[in-house]
Amino acid sequence: MASLELSHVYKVIGGRQTVLHDINLIAHHGELISVVGPSGCGKSTLLRSIAGLEEITSGDIFIGGRRVNDLQPQQRRIAMVFQNHALYPHMTVYQNLAFGLRARRVARSVVETRVRRTAVRLGLEALLGRYPRELSGGQRQRTALGRAMLRDPEVFLLDEPLSSLDVPLRSEMRRELMALHKSLGMTMVYVTHDQSEALSLGERVVVLSAGKVQQVDTPQEIYGNPLNRFVAAFVGWPPMNFLSSEILGTSAMDLQNVEYGVRPERLMLQQHAADDLSVSGRIECIESLGGVWQIEIIHNGARLIARVPPDAALRQDEELRLWFGRADLYAFHKTTGARVKVQR
Amino acid sequence: MAVRTFLYGSLSILAILTLFPLLWVTSIAFMRSPEQSAGTPPLWPRHPTLHNIVNIIQREMLGHYFLNSLIVAVATTVLSTFVAGLAGYALAQVRFRGRRIISWIVLFAVLIPSQALVLPLFEMFREVHLINHYAALILPAAANPVSIVLIQAYMRGIPAEILDAARMDGAGEWQTFFYVVVPMMAPMLAALAVLTFVVSWNDFMWPMIAMQKASMQTLPVALASIDREHYQEIGLMAAGATVTILPMMAIFVASQRYYLRSVVAGSLAD
Repeated sequence: MASLELSHVYKVIGGRQTVLHDINLIAHHGELISVVGPSGCGKSTLLRSIAGLEEITSGDIFIGGRRVNDLQPQQRRIAMVFQNHALYPHMTVYQNLAFGLRARRVARSVVETRVRRTAVRLGLEALLGRYPRELSGGQRQRTALGRAMLRDPEVFLLDEPLSSLDVPLRSEMRRELMALHKSLGMTMVYVTHDQSEALSLGERVVVLSAGKVQQVDTPQEIYGNPLNRFVAAFVGWPPMNFLSSEILGTSAMDLQNVEYGVRPERLMLQQHAADDLSVSGRIECIESLGGVWQIEIIHNGARLIARVPPDAALRQDEELRLWFGRADLYAFHKTTGARVKVQR
Repeated sequence: MAVRTFLYGSLSILAILTLFPLLWVTSIAFMRSPEQSAGTPPLWPRHPTLHNIVNIIQREMLGHYFLNSLIVAVATTVLSTFVAGLAGYALAQVRFRGRRIISWIVLFAVLIPSQALVLPLFEMFREVHLINHYAALILPAAANPVSIVLIQAYMRGIPAEILDAARMDGAGEWQTFFYVVVPMMAPMLAALAVLTFVVSWNDFMWPMIAMQKASMQTLPVALASIDREHYQEIGLMAAGATVTILPMMAIFVASQRYYLRSVVAGSLAD
């Protein structure tokens, strides 16, 4: 078990394109960090750089306090689970699990016991003789995890390991991953493009955009206290509503060059406090999601989404006023996107 | 149904057209002289004899040329498949300086006809005194641009993550190549090996020029000179041809079973 530290890491391709821009990050012993961002934000490059599969242009990477910049991947005591599992297609589950130990010339009897122990732990013992093409998605996933576990890593890297699974299996594997993390107590870095997965898995979340770290914090803080407009818009589903100060009307604070945001699940049908703010608009669409309704209203051309309890009185094309507390209003600088603290 | 009939019908005709000359030649090889030389030989020997076969092996030392051909073809196949495997893999999956340029050069080399290489090759091998050596036939064939290009294309289809995984697993370059890369491109390597063997075995022009000493000649070249000496003994010629095509037949039968198995394995998996 070891900590992972990135200090001023840059990765420039071809002398022009900066893929990673001054990444500073610390993952503590046994911590599960999730890295999230839209595709092309550099999260896979970040992971591959930690693994040693990509060279960084400048900066330092430390694993367990040891600088690993110049070490080969196999010398870094890390393991990686790839998006498409990357199992060896011509080897059985047993051979896939044993390959790393064999490559490092571990004694045959030791390989046998360790592979069997890992297989039992992951529920693969009945499948050891099968080939990857004969496995289900979840079984392949577990094999890939087992192969990584057998590397005895100090840091465990996971590159969108669940994205190739269907939805029910994904949440099951997510729970298994969390249990595994708890029992192994290993430092893990989990990369995903799915913000809900990042929030549910990570003890801390790193939001990455255009090769820059936007925010590193606990899931609660990332959601409740986004540092800038990008984090606010990227995290949470449906995404945050953004309103100009004009739309907010008279109740708006007199701030120049500011854009406001409020989350769909914070919009209410009734006023709760005396100083609650409101917006109104024509109901464009009502979508029943069972226990909750999703409503879109249009106000001066701006579209707002609200998540409200089912209400039979709501009619399409009618005017609706939606209320929200002052504490639920976020303000961002219009040009820089930085969060602006509002006196509430 | 009609499509099936048409398909099997046309395939049968094709099979007969292909097999008939082969079988006829084989049949003539077992005929006595009067039968062969009576204008058009019959389809089937009335009095089968091993006379021609024994004759061509003993009198004309065909076994010696057979051995020459076998040494050259086996060495060429092993070396060329190994080189093509390494080069194709490197050009497709290993990042290094000048990879694009080398890929283009190899691709361009495919376009050069082998006949155009005869003269420069001869000069080069005379310079290093390798004319009349097996190396004269084996070395030029060792790096076959067609094989390299085919392997390269095949290797591009294999996800790079598998190779990354091998690196993470602590496998060195050679371990990765032999335990991960080679098994994945095995079907392609096998097909190329068969092809290389056939081309090497049947090669005529370059072996004729590079092997000027009679004892170093390969089977097709030797057969051609026997032909010039004994052009009336059709039975002898047929026996020579039969001995020449025998290994080809064996290889095709053997490799066909291999192809069939791989096809069946693929369909069973899904």
